[in-house]
Amino acid sequence: MSDIILESLNIRKGFGGVVALDNLTFLIERHSITAIIGPNGAGKTTLLNVISGVYAPDRGSIFLNKKLISGLKPFEITACGLARTFQNAQIFGNMTVLENVMVGCHTRTRAGIASAALRLPLMRREEPITYQKARQYLDMVGLSDVAHRSTASIPIGSQRLLEIARALATEPAIVMLDEPAAGLNTQETRQLGGLIRAIRDMGITVVIVEHDMELVMDISDEIIVLNYGKRIAEGKPVEIQANQEVIDVYLGKEE
Amino acid sequence: MIFAAGIFCLPFFIKSPYYLSILVFIGIYSITTLGLNLLMGYAGQISLGHGAFFGIGAYTSGILTVHYHLPISVAFIVALIITAGIAYLIGVPSLKLKGHYLAMATLAFGEIVNIVLNAAIDLTGGPSGFGEIPRIKLLGVVLDSEQKYFYFVWLVFIIFFILTSNLIHSRVGRALRSIHGSELAAAAMGVNVAQLKVQVFMLSALVASVSGSLYVHFVTFISPTTCNIMFSILLVMMVVVGGMANVWGCVLGAALLTVLPEYLRVFEDYDIIVYGFILLFIVMFLPGGLTQGVQILLHRLRRTANRATDT
Repeated sequence: MSDIILESLNIRKGFGGVVALDNLTFLIERHSITAIIGPNGAGKTTLLNVISGVYAPDRGSIFLNKKLISGLKPFEITACGLARTFQNAQIFGNMTVLENVMVGCHTRTRAGIASAALRLPLMRREEPITYQKARQYLDMVGLSDVAHRSTASIPIGSQRLLEIARALATEPAIVMLDEPAAGLNTQETRQLGGLIRAIRDMGITVVIVEHDMELVMDISDEIIVLNYGKRIAEGKPVEIQANQEVIDVYLGKEE
Repeated sequence: MIFAAGIFCLPFFIKSPYYLSILVFIGIYSITTLGLNLLMGYAGQISLGHGAFFGIGAYTSGILTVHYHLPISVAFIVALIITAGIAYLIGVPSLKLKGHYLAMATLAFGEIVNIVLNAAIDLTGGPSGFGEIPRIKLLGVVLDSEQKYFYFVWLVFIIFFILTSNLIHSRVGRALRSIHGSELAAAAMGVNVAQLKVQVFMLSALVASVSGSLYVHFVTFISPTTCNIMFSILLVMMVVVGGMANVWGCVLGAALLTVLPEYLRVFEDYDIIVYGFILLFIVMFLPGGLTQGVQILLHRLRRTANRATDT
């Protein structure tokens, strides 16, 4: 029996008359890279939003490390060890690159209003650690050079890397990346692939929603294919590439 | 430090009670603006009702010391407790709203407080207000002159300034700014957005209440016009004109909007038009407020200084 980190049981989510996720059940293995793919509108981003607590599922349950997380608020789920990035990079444009990553340390630190305003020992102990950690994660994604630049001034590729660094700073057990390669060139995408492997090698499980098939086939251990909110296939990259239903969905059925 | 030393030297040059009292008002409004800036500039939430919290502080201090003869310190603490309670009750539902809706909700709150202050004549004296509010006695010294109160108010300001600066450069400060940047991402980083918004709303209301208490023991008179809707909007203008998300902007904004009407008296009936135009120009050409203006100016000066040394 393999070690399961994330378990989704019969997840359903509808918006008005549209069923975005239809009775979705799947397991994600610890220390794996799992890609979720599918045509536009398949429900990939909705799935990430349901898992991370942005939407509550209509039905079904999600377990992280055997703990029920569906129904919790996003910030509580983050504290449980699940981090994510966003499709349309949600960076804090009003802060420096380094400060963005320092926000990621929020859930693993405790200093509140009183200890911050009065510079009590708790805050003075935590600040240098937060700073060090943030530098370390920036280093990992290769953004140390722009640490003190305004976030709004760095290119979109760097913003995506920044989002990953910020997610890692929450010290997650599992991180979900929503289209991290969107807007990156070929070379940047290759580097991203290396980074995602490095994240897995740190012992963090990676779930990735991505349209770049070359990247997906290259790095994934497991692929889940969605179409109209249903799982139509699941397996190793080679199995998915040979799956007739997947090919039909992507290329259209041959007459 | 330089700023503190500079401020405390001012009374050696300025002896006129009129100018000193203007400086006292600048100090009081700077404190209010510091709190409001935490909410608006840093957390990105608007409030058009902070004049009401100023008023709650002022009236509670005034009523308890005049009608109930309580010591000023006790009245002050009761004012804080009442403000915290009201800010919590108002903040929890209204901070679920965003943008214009939040503005409307806080505006309505301010108006309700003003109506209550006008109507509860037994306690508040109604539209004409009430006076003979005692002055603060500190370490056996009654703060009865403009000069004494000047030192007191600016000392309080510097304490608040340090506390606010500490707060901004901390885990909480970063969380506040992250809410402004993206609520979605802030929550994904583990920030309890709803709770933090209410906390900062209460904090800024408490700061407004403190400055209201400071006001009432200086002027020794209070009426509803002191804390009406126009005053709430003036506070918002001080934050915007000074520079959002900048602690120095609070002083600049409060100073300009306190001093400007005094100087514009030369325009007589047209003063309000000139006033409006000046504010419009600042907001249009310096969207970052006066602090942005100062930064640009310093940058230019440095460049010309460099060029002068090069040649």
